[in-house]
Amino acid sequence: MSEKKRIYLQPMPVRIWHWINALGIITLILTGAQIRFPESVTIFQSYKSAIDVHNAAGLTVSVSFSFWFFYYKMVKNTLDKLYIPDEEDLKRGLLRQLLYYCFWYFLGKPSPYHATPEHKFNPMQKSAYLAVMFVLMPLVGLTGILLLNVTPLRVLILLWGGIKVIVALHFLLACSLIAFLCTHVYLATLGNYIRPMLTGWEDVEEHEEQQAEDPATTPAYRPVRHYPEYGKVQE
Amino acid sequence: MTDNQLKDALLAKEGYVNYIQRLIVTVSITGWASLCAFGPNTAWGFSYGDQSGRNEACLACHADAREVPRTSFVDHRQFGQTTHARIGCVACHGQVGEGHPDGGQVPRAQCRECHLEVDAEYAKGVHATKTGCNGCHNPHLVQSLKDVSGEEINRICSGCHNALEMTATHGEWLPQSELHLRMLPCITCHTGSRNYFISMYIVKSSNDSRFGKQVVAEYSELEELAGGREIVSLIDTNADNYVSLEELRLFNRTEKSLRLHGMMTPATASHKFEILDSRRNCTFCHTSGPGVMQTSFIAVPEKDGSFRRVPVEKGAVLDALYGTPDFYMMGSTKNQALNGIGLAIICGGLIMPVGHGFVRFLTRKNRKKEQ
Repeated sequence: MSEKKRIYLQPMPVRIWHWINALGIITLILTGAQIRFPESVTIFQSYKSAIDVHNAAGLTVSVSFSFWFFYYKMVKNTLDKLYIPDEEDLKRGLLRQLLYYCFWYFLGKPSPYHATPEHKFNPMQKSAYLAVMFVLMPLVGLTGILLLNVTPLRVLILLWGGIKVIVALHFLLACSLIAFLCTHVYLATLGNYIRPMLTGWEDVEEHEEQQAEDPATTPAYRPVRHYPEYGKVQE
Repeated sequence: MTDNQLKDALLAKEGYVNYIQRLIVTVSITGWASLCAFGPNTAWGFSYGDQSGRNEACLACHADAREVPRTSFVDHRQFGQTTHARIGCVACHGQVGEGHPDGGQVPRAQCRECHLEVDAEYAKGVHATKTGCNGCHNPHLVQSLKDVSGEEINRICSGCHNALEMTATHGEWLPQSELHLRMLPCITCHTGSRNYFISMYIVKSSNDSRFGKQVVAEYSELEELAGGREIVSLIDTNADNYVSLEELRLFNRTEKSLRLHGMMTPATASHKFEILDSRRNCTFCHTSGPGVMQTSFIAVPEKDGSFRRVPVEKGAVLDALYGTPDFYMMGSTKNQALNGIGLAIICGGLIMPVGHGFVRFLTRKNRKKEQ
């Protein structure tokens, strides 16, 4: 027996932040490509326009990132819980999710993980977002700010090894974000992720058996007994 | 008198006349040469220079700041390496009066007497109504473009154009105007020069700190650091008058307080100063082009105040991370290896959508069956 239930998964501030970020990052990728390869990429009419738009988008994403951090850390106080994988995630969750993506999904089995407002991300998402939001984004933002202020921040640039090191780092971090973006968009099509990010709400099928499960023991996971394969992994 | 006798008499007379003419010419030349060689060279009270170094007579006073007013002072060392020193003081100052220094006006040649083409070109530019040649050039310090650093070129401009005002004016349209104005000689954009190269100067950080304020290193400072060897040996370690990428890497790793400061410099300077619309198009400089970004020199200061130009390995030397860590021109100097690594990272990100998507498509029936 199962019934439909609606949960409010993505609050308004998070959705606004997400789409500002999405627009900003796509703009940064396009303008960044023209800035680095002006001889072959001419999306914007002039090189200066590409630079101006890149700078504006960069600052917007940086400010948006700060709001995101402030919202989750200070307002909701759920930053650590949402983004840092716990022991269960590292021991079993990661492998279980990997197996799902690589095998069980193709066999038509449902995901071993189900998002709740308190546990929005599966173990693989947590690990990926931890790297993206706590390493890639801050570093690409910081190197961008250094490149935007070469003269005033000259000492900091020298401290990092010179302007070329900063440029190289900024470029490679941006490429890593592009790589992540490809995977991120594709994986969003595997589950019901896009609608909650637009409306905030997600329709979920709630199993009766799940209600008997102690949420503290298997947080955010569907009962393993539905899928014996996961149970073996868990043991 | 027969015809034959008359002919002989005429020939004898003609020979006599030729002999007298040759004698007069020979005596005149000998006399003039003797006067030149043995005559007193202080016939006017002063010697004012010719190719044999007679500038010294003028410089005996004019190179001594205590003897002459500041406006008449000539730096002996710097003047000595100019083209003007070779043609001599008298070439421009003509005949100085016997009573010199009597406060009278010393004749001065007009620059256009020699530099006619430059004068005509200059007359077409925006500066012509503001100042003459002397407004920018001290004829006793003239140097060719290769003998002077970009910073010194800009110092001439800043005599009239206030640096802060210029930064603000350029900042109205030019991103990072302060950086641009510091890294480019003004003439790179404000003259119609066609060919450019990257000129690199050795800059020294104050207090021997890597992070101190950087200024173009003086000869004396580098001489001390070189420890008796030639200054160029600080970079050109194998003394082949050619700086390789490997030598640049070594220099950047070992020298703590010395760095290389690059400037895009015109190969020949035009004197028609103008505001060129093409220079407002960033891709004039910020795009990969053949040649321009591949040619670079290191300007090593010499004892006489000039710079010795040492060619740097052509090709991707400016792109290499460790070649010139402080020189980067967006869009122009980019490391090809990094481009490759970046592409590999992006391709890595496509493995999931492409690979997984393909298997997903093949197994789509399984999911329909489960539903």
